[in-house]
Amino acid sequence: MPQTFETHDRTAEPEDIFHSDTDLLETIAAHHDVSDQVQAPKQLSPSHSSETGDTGSSMHGVSTKTTGKYDLPVDLEDKATVFKILSVAKPHMRTFHLSWISFSTCFVSTFAAAPLVPIIRENLNLTKQDIGNAGVASVSGSIFSRLVMGAVCDILGPRYGCAFLVMLSAPTVFSMSFVGGAAGFITVRFMIGFCLATFVSCQYWMSTMFTSNIIGLVNGTAAGWGNMGGGITQLLMPVVYEIIRRCGATAFTAWRIAFFVPGWLHIIMGILVLTLGQDLPGGNRKDMEIRGKVVKDKLGKIMWCAVTNYRTWIFVLLYGYSMGVELSTDNVIAEYFFDRFHLKLHTAGIIAASFGMANFFARPAGGYASDMAAKYFGMRGRLWALWIIQTAGGIFCVWLGRANTLVTAVVAMILFSLGAQAACGATFAIVPFISRRSLGIISGLTGAGGNFGSGLTQLIFFSTSRFTTEQGLTWMGVMIIACTLPVTLCRFPQWGSMFLPPSTVTAEQYYVSEWSEEEKQNNMHLGSLAFAKSAESEGGRRAHSTVIV
Amino acid sequence: MAITKLLFASLLICSMIQSSHGATKERLFTDLEKGALEITATPSRTGQGVVLAAGVDKLSITWKVSSTATKEAEFKIIKVKLCYAPVSQVDRPWRKTHNELFKDKSCPHKISSFPYDPTVKTAQSFDYTLERDIPTGTYYVRAYAVDAQDHEVAFGQTTNEAKTADLFSVQAISGRHKSLDIASVCFSVFSVVALLVFFVNEKRKAKIEQSK
Repeated sequence: MPQTFETHDRTAEPEDIFHSDTDLLETIAAHHDVSDQVQAPKQLSPSHSSETGDTGSSMHGVSTKTTGKYDLPVDLEDKATVFKILSVAKPHMRTFHLSWISFSTCFVSTFAAAPLVPIIRENLNLTKQDIGNAGVASVSGSIFSRLVMGAVCDILGPRYGCAFLVMLSAPTVFSMSFVGGAAGFITVRFMIGFCLATFVSCQYWMSTMFTSNIIGLVNGTAAGWGNMGGGITQLLMPVVYEIIRRCGATAFTAWRIAFFVPGWLHIIMGILVLTLGQDLPGGNRKDMEIRGKVVKDKLGKIMWCAVTNYRTWIFVLLYGYSMGVELSTDNVIAEYFFDRFHLKLHTAGIIAASFGMANFFARPAGGYASDMAAKYFGMRGRLWALWIIQTAGGIFCVWLGRANTLVTAVVAMILFSLGAQAACGATFAIVPFISRRSLGIISGLTGAGGNFGSGLTQLIFFSTSRFTTEQGLTWMGVMIIACTLPVTLCRFPQWGSMFLPPSTVTAEQYYVSEWSEEEKQNNMHLGSLAFAKSAESEGGRRAHSTVIV
Repeated sequence: MAITKLLFASLLICSMIQSSHGATKERLFTDLEKGALEITATPSRTGQGVVLAAGVDKLSITWKVSSTATKEAEFKIIKVKLCYAPVSQVDRPWRKTHNELFKDKSCPHKISSFPYDPTVKTAQSFDYTLERDIPTGTYYVRAYAVDAQDHEVAFGQTTNEAKTADLFSVQAISGRHKSLDIASVCFSVFSVVALLVFFVNEKRKAKIEQSK
């Protein structure tokens, strides 16, 4: 089947397009109601119809006889319009749970080595550089695999995309038992890191099951809960290791056996996804009817729009220092507490786990804070909120590096985690407004920037003997503060920047300027026009004609 | 919010505790009496370039209190430890030598710990089999004499002060097992095969349905 790039760019990395919260939901609802009106004759939800994507020929679980009797209310495409977290109803909520749990499993296996490093470094005779390089390797693989995953989801569908990745990366997890030295360790961590691309299949799959009104909340929750895996593993692996040790294994064998647990999780989740999951909610006939009418855009043009917009690069850098530092900290924090404060392995693990687990609410909270700021101050409020939250995270990171007692270090770490993770949420509350045409690519680049920032930070501060780990944390905090400053330069001509007021350019002009005259004649820009109209609320309170004070 | 207030409160309390901790003088390694114990460690295999195998080879450790020792009356317990030579500490900050005794990480491996019997004046010896969790590296042996408050008062080591003489090398166990390797391969193969079987099966079913 021809692979339309529109599906690729929108769904490959619609990473937490919108983050949580009812106020934002109303804004999103406004976006899509308007765009529906504009393009009703063509298709149901034009700017996001591509999110159903080409799911390949897999019709697993779909019966052409079903008449749409679902547990949740659905729209015309059989996508759920309501997000019922505690349900496992087939197919929508079941998909949600399968999806976030398999993404979380991949986080568990990617960071499984981190809390066990104090044992592994003695077994494999690692130096500080080796440990640091392994950390860099663990986050680098997915930069590439996430880009490929979009294409895989287009060809095979998200269910197979997820299952393929999870089950094919199980051997990489099991191969930890063969590792004998630094080279092997770095290689295996690199290969395991590929499975973080399940993030893409997770978000893509959500968009086939949930309507665009709530896709932001759903994707954001899935991403946040998935990221929690980085915290769960810090708790899980030391406990598993302890149990295996108590059963009689020596230290240097016990950690290898412990890696079987994430490996089994991969296999179990892969099988569950294959047997319980389904690509489409149902009504595949309707899907085929709609498919022919998607506006096909050109890859080159979309890339050009994304790359030439300077705001893209500002947010790539910013995400590298919110998500990036979160990933780096996942890799170093357990070892840091073990060495600096002479804790037992599982105690260090518990503390390190609380860093990652804060994702459960911190990330949505960041999106919420951004929405609150937007309600009163529009886009300028969002920019300020992001700057404040991320800089606060940086300050707490500096404090963490300088903390000399255990209690201060734990408090600093928790505050740092809240700052960094909320900043991730706040970043993606702004990213959708950078461009309408290239949303997918920009989201993808931003996501990749996160991994890149993580690799870079670990390379500079945690792989050399030049800095002790506490100095590394301090300098990482300084770098966060420095790399958050560029957000002051981000200016939306229609809404202003942090310090400058808006110009006379309107939102319509801004978004439609991405299209050439020829394209406008073909009505390709109508989606952007509709989006611009619904983005009026980003002008802040002044923009509303009926303001209740 | 209540949580923010709680956080700030705990923050204040923590900083107060830290500042009130005061200036208790940390016990330093340089304060200990040097050479109070004379100790030698003879590996079970010696020779140029011999590397001892963890879990297999032994050290025969002989020790006695030196005639020049002054604090002998305080000795209550003797703790014998395996310590890293400087070459094994390079690029490994978790093995660093610190002067403050509580911070020092250069002697993490316990060999033996036994009460000191002041009536026995001759040299005593015992055998120690290198444990299976000893990492690969170069080592020497140090014995601390500890007083009734569990504070070190004196020490002796098998090497010189520069830690260059009488060192021995140990090769750690790999931790790998054949059974582990086999299990690993089995599960990996299962994962890949299960996926392919499923995929092929579904494609076949889809083709059959299509042709109907």
